[in-house]
Amino acid sequence: MILVTNNEKVRQAYGGLCTLQFVEGGHTDVLCAVRDLIHQGHKLLTHPLAGSVKPNETPFRSVALTRETGGLDMDSLTLIESALAVCRQFKPRFQRGEDAPESMREDFAEIDYRLIHGALAPHLQKGE
Amino acid sequence: MRLELGEIHISDIKLGDCSKVDSGTLYVNVEELRALLLEDEDLASVEFDVVHPGESVRVIPVKDVIEPRVKVEGPGGVFPGVISKVGTVGSGKTHVLKGCAVVTTGKVVGFQEGIIDMTGPGADYTPFSKLHNLVMICEPKEGIKQHQHEHAIRMAGLKAATYLGELARTLTPDETKVYETSGVMSGKEKYPDLPRVGYVLMLQSQGLLHDTYVYGVDMKRSMPTILNPTETMDGAILSGNCVSACDKNTTYHHLNNPVIHDLLEQHGKTINFVGVIITNENVYLMDKERSSDWSTKLASFLELDGALVSQEGFGNPDTDLIMNCKKLEAAGIKTVIITDEYAGQDGASQSLADADPAANAVVTGGNANMVIHLPKMDKVIGHPEAANIIAGGFDGSLEADGSITAELQVITGATNEMGFNKLSAR
Repeated sequence: MILVTNNEKVRQAYGGLCTLQFVEGGHTDVLCAVRDLIHQGHKLLTHPLAGSVKPNETPFRSVALTRETGGLDMDSLTLIESALAVCRQFKPRFQRGEDAPESMREDFAEIDYRLIHGALAPHLQKGE
Repeated sequence: MRLELGEIHISDIKLGDCSKVDSGTLYVNVEELRALLLEDEDLASVEFDVVHPGESVRVIPVKDVIEPRVKVEGPGGVFPGVISKVGTVGSGKTHVLKGCAVVTTGKVVGFQEGIIDMTGPGADYTPFSKLHNLVMICEPKEGIKQHQHEHAIRMAGLKAATYLGELARTLTPDETKVYETSGVMSGKEKYPDLPRVGYVLMLQSQGLLHDTYVYGVDMKRSMPTILNPTETMDGAILSGNCVSACDKNTTYHHLNNPVIHDLLEQHGKTINFVGVIITNENVYLMDKERSSDWSTKLASFLELDGALVSQEGFGNPDTDLIMNCKKLEAAGIKTVIITDEYAGQDGASQSLADADPAANAVVTGGNANMVIHLPKMDKVIGHPEAANIIAGGFDGSLEADGSITAELQVITGATNEMGFNKLSAR
């Protein structure tokens, strides 16, 4: 699988376990990178709006896609475009992780890591 | 299954040196309760406060709200699989301390919301301003990680509610309500002409601070399954979700699920309420597909004519909600969804992150982006600096006089997606 993230904590945990694309940027930049991969034929494996931490609040996002490519997956495209629409609707509170106060930054990174870890751990154990 | 709920009405809570219920007043021996809670080695301290309806008090950030209950007859005990042994609950007799709750507060992460105002305009938006609340401020030991902290507060709330519920064991209820459900076959025989209706209860299950437990099982690790409606009234479902304040389902909501209460009220009159299908809201898309397939499969297996689907949270769970709705409708089951909206401060934007023409019957809990002004309170319990954190950003601003201008989403239970709120277009 390919994991797209701007969260250093996720990079450290998963960098050696799967193909990881690190994004130097904010939440929206991650979603744009994911959208580009979908246009290249990758499919979404995890929902791009993970967590009830409102999408405009968290500066971190990690999204998993298939490593294999095929035809354009319309379900994936619809999901990522909806997620980007939500980001456009709610102006981001913190553009990048560095913009958040230090105490919150660590918590945001931990939640993002935990959510993606909970989703991926069972699948990575199976060697996907 | 038949469950009697014996309600003991509570009109006051007093802290003292003896725990008992006397003439509608709940007395709490704080030292005894504190000693019990501090058996958890992750907790450094627990402080108590009592808040009453109408008082100028703000509690922030609220983690969970729990109603004290005790099982007095029949199998199992309250909060099975977590506090009591894992035996199946939902039958026999349960006593409830009605009119009061345990409210836990603790800053697990730096961006938690969750305000309960006991008076003023904010109080109108949360059902918990109408209760006498024992507020517990739980502080963790140094070096405790966020997930251990969440677990410690969750357990403290459940232990305290169990401790208080136990005081009701030998009391004579002020009011008794009886809930009776039918089996799949007996219901069909008894009510052959009534439409068969089920309730698909979606449970938040994305991960840390976004979890729900059923008989002690982390719901993200479970396939959808069937509950008897009365099981929820004995605490079969517990909240471990403390991020999305306005549309999280607290444990109190699960114990008093209004969809279940209303469907049971109509059972045998206008509908045949067949059962509750619980399902999850996971991050992995294959899980979403599998779970919505399964909730629909179970609904078809029960030969439902109609279904209500309630959601928890916003964004990601909108996908589960729409998947459930689409698949149920495609299976010929008429479906109503209960959700809330993030339609922008002016209410003009699209309300959900997902949509489908099959979602043609929708009940809304209100627009979580609506801006409200919360005046200064004389007292703030918990972590007032949490208000400072929500203050500087998009969600609101803390004024110099202590008032807050914020979106409705900061208030606990304001746009609850079980409909346990007062927002209405009427």
